[in-house]
Order: sequence, then structure tokens, then C-alpha cells
Amino acid sequence: MFGAKHILPKGNPPLESAYDAVLIGGGLHNLATAWFLAKEHNMNRVAVLEKNYIGYGGAGRNTAIVRANQRTQKNIPLYKEALDLWPVLTRELDFNLMFYNCGNLNLLHSEAAVKAARTNIATAKFLGVESHLLDAAETAKRVPALNLSQKITHPIHGAMYHPPGGIVRHDAVVWGLAKGAAEKGVHIHQQTEALGIATKNGRVTGVKTPAGTIYTPRVLVSAGGYTAGLLYHMLKIKMPISVLTIQAMVTQPLKPLLDHVVSSGAYHVYANQTLKGEIATGAHMDPWPNYTTQTTAGYIKHQAEALVELMPCLAGVKFMRSWAGLADMTPDMAPIMDGNDPVEGVYMNCGWGYFGFKSCSATGRYMARFLATGKCPDRLKPFALARFKNHRLMGETAALVNYTPDN
Amino acid sequence: MKRLTSLPTLRVDVGRPVPFVYKNQTGRGFKGDTIATALYAAGVRIFSRSLKYHRPRGLFSLDGESSNTMMTVNGVPNVRTETTLLAEGAMIRDQNAIFTARNDLLGFMDRLDRFMPAGFYYETMHKPASLWPVAAKMVRKAAGLGRIAPDFRFSGACDEMYPAADLCVIGGGPAGMEAALAAADQGLRVILLEARPWLGGSFDYRERGSGEDAPLYRQAADLASRVSTRAAIRVFTRTAMVGGYSDNLVTAVTEGGPDDPFDYRYLEMRPRAVVVATGSRERPLIFENNERPGVMLPDCALRLARTYGILAGREAVFSVGHDLGLEAALDLSELGLPVRAVADVRTKGHDPALVRGLADRRIPFYPGWAAAAVEGKKGVKSVRLASCDGGQYRILTCDLLAAAAGHTPAVEPLSLFCGPLAYDGQTGYFLPRTYPAGVFAAGRIYGLEAPQNIRISGRVAGLDAAAFCGADCRGAADAHRNELAALPMGRPASKWVAFPGPWRKHFVDFDEDVTGKHIRQAVGRGFGVPELIKRFTAAGTGPGQGGISGHNLPLLVAAIKNPSRDRTDIHGTVPAPTTVRPPLRPVFLAAYAGSGREMVKRTPVHDAQAWEGAVFRRVGVWHRARYFSADLDVSEEVDNVRTNVGMLDASTLGCFRIFGPDALSALQRVYAGDMSKIKDGRVKYAAMCNHDGCVIDDGVVIRIGENDYMFTTSTGRAGETVEWIRYHTRFDNWDFHLVNQTDGTGVINLAGPRARDVLERVTDADVSNQAFSFGCWKDFSLSGGIPVRCLRLGFVGELSFELNIPASYMQAAWDMLRKAGSGFGLRPFGVEAQNILRLEKGHVILGQESEQRTNLLDLNMGFLFSRDKDIRPVGADALLQAEKDAGRLTLVGIRMTDSSCVPPDGSILVDDQVVDPVIGYVGTIRKSRALDAVVGMALVERAWTAEGTRLAVYDGGGEPSERHDATVVRMPFYDPEGIRMRM
Ligand SMILES: Cc1cc2nc3c(=O)[nH]c(=O)nc-3n(C[C@H](O)[C@H](O)[C@H](O)COP(=O)(O)OP(=O)(O)OC[C@H]3O[C@@H](n4cnc5c(N)ncnc54)[C@H](O)[C@@H]3O)c2cc1C
Repeated sequence: MFGAKHILPKGNPPLESAYDAVLIGGGLHNLATAWFLAKEHNMNRVAVLEKNYIGYGGAGRNTAIVRANQRTQKNIPLYKEALDLWPVLTRELDFNLMFYNCGNLNLLHSEAAVKAARTNIATAKFLGVESHLLDAAETAKRVPALNLSQKITHPIHGAMYHPPGGIVRHDAVVWGLAKGAAEKGVHIHQQTEALGIATKNGRVTGVKTPAGTIYTPRVLVSAGGYTAGLLYHMLKIKMPISVLTIQAMVTQPLKPLLDHVVSSGAYHVYANQTLKGEIATGAHMDPWPNYTTQTTAGYIKHQAEALVELMPCLAGVKFMRSWAGLADMTPDMAPIMDGNDPVEGVYMNCGWGYFGFKSCSATGRYMARFLATGKCPDRLKPFALARFKNHRLMGETAALVNYTPDN
Repeated sequence: MKRLTSLPTLRVDVGRPVPFVYKNQTGRGFKGDTIATALYAAGVRIFSRSLKYHRPRGLFSLDGESSNTMMTVNGVPNVRTETTLLAEGAMIRDQNAIFTARNDLLGFMDRLDRFMPAGFYYETMHKPASLWPVAAKMVRKAAGLGRIAPDFRFSGACDEMYPAADLCVIGGGPAGMEAALAAADQGLRVILLEARPWLGGSFDYRERGSGEDAPLYRQAADLASRVSTRAAIRVFTRTAMVGGYSDNLVTAVTEGGPDDPFDYRYLEMRPRAVVVATGSRERPLIFENNERPGVMLPDCALRLARTYGILAGREAVFSVGHDLGLEAALDLSELGLPVRAVADVRTKGHDPALVRGLADRRIPFYPGWAAAAVEGKKGVKSVRLASCDGGQYRILTCDLLAAAAGHTPAVEPLSLFCGPLAYDGQTGYFLPRTYPAGVFAAGRIYGLEAPQNIRISGRVAGLDAAAFCGADCRGAADAHRNELAALPMGRPASKWVAFPGPWRKHFVDFDEDVTGKHIRQAVGRGFGVPELIKRFTAAGTGPGQGGISGHNLPLLVAAIKNPSRDRTDIHGTVPAPTTVRPPLRPVFLAAYAGSGREMVKRTPVHDAQAWEGAVFRRVGVWHRARYFSADLDVSEEVDNVRTNVGMLDASTLGCFRIFGPDALSALQRVYAGDMSKIKDGRVKYAAMCNHDGCVIDDGVVIRIGENDYMFTTSTGRAGETVEWIRYHTRFDNWDFHLVNQTDGTGVINLAGPRARDVLERVTDADVSNQAFSFGCWKDFSLSGGIPVRCLRLGFVGELSFELNIPASYMQAAWDMLRKAGSGFGLRPFGVEAQNILRLEKGHVILGQESEQRTNLLDLNMGFLFSRDKDIRPVGADALLQAEKDAGRLTLVGIRMTDSSCVPPDGSILVDDQVVDPVIGYVGTIRKSRALDAVVGMALVERAWTAEGTRLAVYDGGGEPSERHDATVVRMPFYDPEGIRMRM
């Protein structure tokens, strides 16, 4: 019943001197790209280089919320495809990714928030993604623990309810993709840091590692929060990305209490109950650019203050563990996916901030197509780096975002 | 059970019974008992059922390292009964069992373990696909310990405290107390945190000393009394450190005792130095059924007797790897617990006095032996001891097995400060590689065992900390350091891992039911590092975190990867510990939340408006009056401004003064327009942009003197404005001062055709249209001498006077106007009425009709941008570029075809004929009574902005095919010539 097959390859495969593609960073996006390169493009002489172990970055630290109710029509279809891929990947990888389709509730605490949600809901529905506006009573029916009092800091006016979303087991996605890719011949090199990218006449020629240079005509840099730094240090490509620390934590496991992912912009908090029973919660990023993955005292306290007000019963629950990861934020809360510009053969996929888990399946697929054909798929075109030069932000959030020290 | 009552180390008061209710039966403990010790004394052995296998679990340790003794107390699930003091009338229940923990109907799960290998859920339940949604529901139900009702309300009182100190000593054992005293002697203010209700640490319950010295418990008492009477040392007992962060930030939680005015208190402090003296625990021994009720750590058995007067069993066997284990066996035997045998994994290096003591009492001693298995389902029936080489074994009946492999330092607090730990070959411990400045450690955490060494190491740490804080005591610290170095060091701890075998019921982690077999499976599946194995098997992720598995998991992994078991390193790698993460103990959200203050600002006339029936809404940090009636359409408020006069509290608007030789330059940098063109006595409307040309703020600027300006910002921007200006002038070295006067300034907007009539009643100043026309400002005073700065603006489209008034006069001015206006129909209006009024005028509210994709030009506010200033404003490049960019969202006015149809704000505009069918959305739209039409402002792509363009509105309610018709119309809708505000 349980074949003792490897999930992760035991030890590193031999580092060959040349690959058809080298992917820097052993996170979700590259593992997904590797899987689709091998599966859909027959390209399996592919190396994934990971400095630590796979899942070390955001891939292993996120709170695994998935949804497709983004704000704009450029984003929604991509996220919808990603959402639809979980069951498909579960089957193809023969690995239970544990997509728990519990639906997401975005709490709305003001008339302005209701208005903003209206735009999202209408856009999502118009593009075929289910999303509804609930009033306060309907919201409380779905989450009986909510505090409907008018006397709290941000009384609840209602919620944006998005039934197709939910949570996925993030580790399972990392391991499942790694297993699938490795089975198809992809080489996953853990404890192998990419030190530089070699170019000649504006074309990539290889990747430098501690074990020597690997020759390759294609390099994809998708190393989560580290991507912008790597691109700058290796190729002097400047990215409009600010890296901020983002924290998350879990409570002790409980019997089922929360049947949906609940989030609140006004309280800066979201919470969902994992299949193990823990309430996993996170929120806004630390408000200054930072490469640390240390937690802070103020944050866990803030989480408690917010949750206790929103769901008073949680006062009697205990926090058990907190951690932090990096969020690479662009000015418009949309990622950067690009390639062959300014260096032929160098591709990038980053700026996923705190929302890059949910999309990894679809982006992996499109990035694979991009690498395999050299042509940018239409779906990815709006995400080109040049949009910032042209002052054409994508509007994934209505607010003006600013992470510089003047913030 | 009869307690031992005459022990000098006893911490329970057997004269003070405390009643409790356990599963509908009353029981009784004593003052000083924890819930778990009271239950144990009452004969309870099975405290809970384990998460996956529903195995019976009992008391294993006393400091809450596992979920074994988590129960539901007074409706609160997952209470660690071994660290929670018994309170009168406590209602105690089992959890995670069908029926009871003793007779759990799910007990059969234990036999299904072969169907649940490590990470089994990743490879099951997904075929066929339709199975998973059903299975997921079942997984959810099965998972989770304890239940909390959605309407549960926490009844305890929670407090917060932010004390200051030079030094925080964590751990009130002998080393910590010595450190505190040594530092206090050097003049430091010290805070000492101790998780238990009393000071003393490992000395508190031990009789034996070394050589001539006083018994350890007396040494502890002596230290405790010295510490407690020193004014410079503040002692916090029942206070567990839970967090350690950079720059010595320490957080801790105190559990209130019966005399405290709180149940939980959150502490946060940033001492200059920290001494961590948290001692060591015992490393659990891994063998078959090593977590049966009746198996416990030797230290737990010893403390049960010495601290609580409870003999843990009738007949005991010990399997240890450390002298303290031998000491516990000997001591308990002397207290009357029959000890059938003592095994010790070490073949040499035992304290000879202890070995002699065992011999004197005729207790068989087996050096080089360890427990291999326990028999018994709900408790211990017999123990199999075996020689470590596996050659011999012996089966002994008993009901108590006190077992540990050796020590493990309580290094978690230290690792929060010091970062990743490394394996130390000498002690077999995981210890910090480096110490950040100001962080020191002392005592058993280093592997010290001799009482004398422990005490001296405390003094060294205290003096080092004092020297770090500037005291002149390096010499004294070094003297003690040398003294310590001259004493014999502790013996290396045992590195024993486990007997070879399949490890099917050898538990590495209790909370998650992780066995040695699971670890082996994980390694076999390619998970090489403990950090990944932890995730794959869940070891160390339960309520006790790494408390049970933290040390053993990396050892086991190393042993599995290494065929020869006396060497723990393979291929040059040594055991790698997993990361320790705060909180170090589970903390109630209530305790973190503390006193739960709400931080909010109220305007000076908050109460006056509340009295008039205002409904407030939070706007940023402020409370603002949004409605003055239950009618959310606010038609009366709106009509009254259009026909009579209204007053709006606009005190939340940002108000700034900027002055100095370079004040104008600074304004030129941040405002898009040309601020050098401001005319005396005139108000200039102005906008600030970011680098993308997006409008971040709008307001007015006036010149109030030479190099002296006042400007206003929107409510939301007031907080950031100073930083914004500082940031954008950071390289210029300009000389100006910027003062945020927002909180000191109140604003009343008096608006409506009768506004002048009202104003004239309260001032002698000439406010006629000739003397004070639209777009001007003027300083004068109201009756009684209230100074006002009055701006004639027209945001709502009527004759308006915006009165800026010192906050302290606001109430008086409000009352005066209110009274003066009674004959003119004056009444307050709120932000929603203003919203409608300004909409009719086509005036934009940033964030409502703008967003990150829209710049100044897109909002038709290009007139606020000056292209040829000598100082380039922020955003100019983007605006110049955008002038050539045709495909942008642009602000337009719209009118609904059907004047009874008011789509909600945020509805989208669609066109199915194009590739990107969502062509825009509605910012604000309202039924206008003044115009008898439904009008609004919307952002649409440039191609749909021509006047007369038909638009389809979709509100997201019904099917996407259900649209409403609208047309692009010219703005402003109301009084297009602007006559009314110029009256
Ligand atoms: C606390 C937290 C909560 C989050 N919650 C959610 C959520 O609920 N939903 C959601 O959609 N998203 C969430 N995210 C975001 C999501 O996790 C990230 O966007 C996503 O994981 C990043 O993509 P990745 O997995 O490909 O990169 P990462 O996993 O970050 O991978 C980067 C990898 O690159 C490696 N690397 C770095 N430098 C080099 C080098 N020179 N050579 C080789 N390798 C290198 C790193 O070691 C790392 O393993 C969250 C993130 C955090 C931190």
C-alpha cells in the first residue's frame, strides 16, 4: 500500500556541467516551473538550485491561503487557473495536496470597504469567479465566533464571500512538485547556492555555483524574497521591489471552530483553521524594508488584540508558535514575470509578496511555456517589468502603496 | 492518597484543602497543588488521550513539555494542568476522547498505526478525487485537542506591564539568583523572572548537598530570602519568559496568584543585559511504550514527592543516564518508595557516593543498561531492562518507571537571542555558537552539575552583565571565572539514543504521536534534515513544541543516517537542531491582548455631535460623525445645506504650518503646482503626487507671513505628511520648520445660503462678499474673543466659511454658532451628506474617485500641475510622460438612464465587445435630490470618456448579463457656473 518510494531524492543528484535550463531558488514557483517544463515541454535536463533545502523560503512559511477574487481582470484569470489546478496537480503528482475548499470571507468594516469589495465581486463574477457580498448577519451565520457588536474598534458591516477558495497544505505542494519533477528527471540540488550568472554579448551562458559553472542557455531567477537582490548583484538589474518581513503564527490545535478563511483589512488580521486544528493567523508586514526572518514582540501582541476583538472566544485559546518570512513587494501588489530583457535567456518571476503561494501552479505552467518557447505567453504580458518605467501600475490594490522609509 | 507531610521541601499546605470537580466527582487537593498534582494524588493516572492513536497519557513531567496533561478547565480547553495552580472549585474535564480518557472508544486507533506511517496523509485519501472532500471533513473532526465554544467568553482579568531594568535574569534557580545578587551588588537594577511559583530551581527540592555544605534546599531558601529583600531586585514568580527578540527585548507572562488583581499579566522589557539561567531538563528516554502512564521523568517523580508529598507509585524501576537520576532513585527510596532496580546507560563516570548509597540500600544497580520496553495497557505492569549491547535483559514488575536518557539544557530562551544552536561534542548539548552583546548564560544550561559550580557560574554571569552595563567589575568577574575553571567540570552527558529495532511504539514526540519508526520512514523518503523531518512527521509542532522531541529528534536522525551508533556524525555532518520559535510557552491570546485599549482620536466637539445623534465611523485614527439620523440617505441633512445652512466638524483634516527661509522650496518640491504664485489673502488649492504622478493628497495652501505658510491635508494623510516632506527634501539641506497643528486645531465648515447670516451674528468682522470674497482667507475673532482663521471655500458647492479654531475654543464656538443659527435652520451635517453634496459639485475625494492607477491628469486636475517651476515637484516626470499616454483610466461624470436606479458604489462598467471587458468602475453614485437624477463619478478607460458615451453598469449582485444603462455627462452636475459658492 505504501511503496517506500522516495519523495525527495536521497542526497543530491550529480551536478552536471550543462543543463537546458537552470532555475535559481527551490521554492514553489521554480518547482512548479520545473514540473511543467518536464511534463508539458519534454524539457527535463533542468536543474533547480536551492541554497538551503527546498521549502526553506516563503514556500515553507506561508499560511497557504488560496483564492481567485483578485481586483483586476489582468489578475483574476491567472489566479483562477491556479485555483483550478490544485485537484489536477493532486492527481498528476499522485500526492495529496490537501486542498481544503472552505471558502474565504473578507470582512468589511466600513462603507468604503463595502464599495471596494463591490468592485472585486463584480469583476470576479463578470469573469466567472464566484464571489458574493454578505451582510453582517449572514456573515455571522457562517462564522458564529464573530463579534457583531457595534462597540468594537471596527464594527463588521458584512463580508466578501468567495466559496471557491480555501487552503492547501503548503509543504505538500513543495514536496509533491519536487517528487514529480525529480521523477521526470529534473535535478534538484539542495545546499547549492547560485553565486552568479555568466553572460556573453547580452546572452546568458551559465550559472556559477560553489562546484563550478553550469552551462545553460536559460536561467530563471525565482528565489522569493531574494530575487531582486540576486538580479541586482548578479546582473545589475534594478527592480522596484521592497522586501519586508511578514510574520505568522498558530494556536494550539482545536476541534473545528472556523469553517472559512476569515480576513480583515481594518484589523490587519486573517485567520483560518488548518486541517490539524490550529488557528493559523497572520497579517500585515512589518512596516519597514528588512531581510530578517525574526519575529517581533509587537506583532504577536497585535494579532492577539485584533483576534480577541473580532472573535472573543479566541481569548481562551493559546498561541503556540510564530515565525516570519520575507515578502517581496512591488508598488502595485502584482508580481513581475518577464524574460529576455535586458539579458537574453534570463527570466524572472518575483514580486509575489505575501500572495505567491496561491498562484504558483499557474505561473509555473506559464513560465515553463515562456522558457520553452522563448515567447512570453499573453497571460503574462501585463506583468512585465517595463510597466513601472511607464508608470502604469496594475491596480491590484486600490491604495497607493509605499514601502520606502518615508512611509 | 496520604501525603508525605513532614518534608522540609514541601510546597503544599496540607492544612488548607482546595476542592475541585473532576468528571462530576468532587475531589480535594491542597493549597500549592497544581491541578495535575491534585489529580495524581487523587489517583488519576490517565489524564488524556493522544492526538492520533488515542493512547492513554499520564503525568510525565511537571513543566508542561507535552500535551499529556492538557485538559479542559472551566470550559477552557488545552489547559496545562501540570503548571496551572489548583483553584477552588475548578471544573476539570478530559479532552480528545469518546467517553473518557480512561475508557476511550477510540483507543483502537493505536492498533491502526501501520496504516498511518509518517506523512501518510500526503499519500492517501486523494484517490478517487471525490474521496478527499469527505475525508478532509473527517480529518478535521479527528484532529484538534480541546473544543472552544464560539460564544465562550474569557472571564479573567488581563494586565500589562512594561518595567525598566538594567538586567533581566531569566530563571530563579541558584545560578540566576547568584547572578541577580552579584549584579545588584554592582548597582544594577535587576528583574528576575521565574516560571514556578517559588525561587530555588533544581535546589528547591533536593536534600543532598556536596560535602560539608548545607542541604541544597536550604541554600536555595537562603539565596531566595537575600534576593527577595534586595530593593534593587524585583522578583516575578509564576512568570515565564515567552519571547526574546533582538536588542534584548524580553516578553513574559505572569499567571496571577490568588492575591493578584489579575489572572494574566503580559510583561515586556528591554533591559541592557540578559542572563539566561534556565537550567536543564531531563532528556526523555526512547524505548517501547515510553509514554505509558506510569512512565515519568525521574525528576518528576522526585518533585512529586519532595514538593507535593506524593509518592508516585508503589514499586519503581529507574533507568537513567545522569547522576541526578541516581540521586532521585536514592532519595525516593529513602522516602519510602520501593526501588527494584536502577539502570544507567553510562558504564562509568557515576558519582561514587550515589552508587554507594544504592548499594547500602541494596538496590540492584545496572551500569551500561537501559529500559527497553514497558508492558501494560493503561499503566505500567512490568519493565524490560537490557544491557546496552543488547546481550542480556531482565523483566521486573513495577508500576512506576522513572526514565531519562540524561540531561538536555533548557536552552530555548538563549537560542531566541543567540540564533541557531550547534551541537557541542563535549556535553552532547545544542548550545549557541555566539552570544550577542549583553547576553550571558549561567548554571546547568552549560552542563554544570556540581552545586558549587552552578553558583559560581551565576556570579560570573552577574558580574559580566554588570561590567557590560558599565560597572567596574571585570576583575571580580575574572576572579570567579578562574575559580570556576579550577573546579572539576561536569561529566559529559550520556549520548544514548535507543536500542536498535523497528521503533514502532518508541515515541519521540508525544503530542503528535511520532515514533522512531516515523523518523526512520521520513529519512527513508528523502527528508535529510531535522527541520524537514519535523514538518513531514509533525514532531515538535504540537502544543509542547520541542519540549519532548527537541533534543532527541536530531540525535535520532543522526543515528538513523549513521550505521554505527556510538558515532553521531556522518559524512562530516553533526546533529542539527531545529529552530526554536516563540512563544516558549503557549500563551492565551487574552494574555497577549492585555488590557485591550482602543486607540482612537476624538475631535473637540465629539460629545456635542454625539448629543445631536451623530453616528460615528472610524476614519483612520479618528472618529468622525457620518450620519445625523437613522436615514442613511441623509436627505434632510443634504437639503438643509442646499436651502438653509449646515455645519460640519472637519477638525480631522491635517493642518500644518511651515516656515523658514526654504519653506517655499519645500512646498514647491511636494506640491505639483507653483506655490510661488500664492497671492496674499488668497487660498490656493493644491495637490501632492507620488513618483508615479498619482495624487496622494490635496488641500489648500495659504501664505500667512514672510516665509510662513499654512496648509491642510486630508484626514488620512496628516500622519504621514511630515515624513513625506522630510523624505523628499532629504538631500537639499533646506532650512525650514514644519509643525503639525492638526490636533490643536478644530475646523467647522459653515455652509449653505444662510451661512453669512449666521456668521454675522457671532462676529463684528466684515464678512460680506465685497470684503471677503470666494477663495480668500481672513483672521478675525468671534464674540468673546475666540480667534478664528476663516477660509472661503466651496467643497459642498454653497457659500461656505471654513473656520479654523484653536481646539480649546471649539466647544464654545460650536455652541455659539448653534445658537446663532437657530433662526436660520442651522443643523449639523455629517460626512455622508458632505459626500453627496460634493459629488453633485463633481469634487473628488481621493481614494473614492482615485486609485493607484490614476494620476493627477486622469482626474482632470491637470490645472494643478505646473510644468515649468524651477524646482521639479515629485511626480513631474510621470505626469509629463503620461501626457502622451492614451490608454489610462480617466474620471468622468455619469448619469443613470433610469432615475430610479441607484447602483451601489464600486459597481463596474463593462463592454463585451473588447478583449478586456471591464472598462472601469463607479467611484461614488447617488440619487441627487437637487438635480432629480442619479449621478456619479466613475473611472473609465480613455476610449469611453466622450460625453454622451453609453455605459453598461454591472453591480455584481445578479447575473453578469444584468446591466444598467448610464451615460457620460459633463461635470459639475450642480450649479455648473459656481454661482452659489461665490454668493
Ligand atoms: C508568513 C507568510 C505568509 C504567507 N501567506 C501566504 C498565503 O496565505 N497565501 C499566498 O498565496 N501566499 C502567501 N505567502 C507568500 C508566498 O509564500 C510566497 O509568495 C512564495 O512562497 C514565494 O515564492 P517561492 O515559493 O517560489 O519562493 P521561496 O519559497 O521564497 O523560495 C526562495 C528560495 O530561494 C532560495 N535561494 C535564495 N537565494 C538563492 C541562491 N543564491 N541560490 C539558490 N537558492 C537561493 C531560498 O533559500 C528559498 O528556498 C506568505 C508568505 C509568508 C512569508
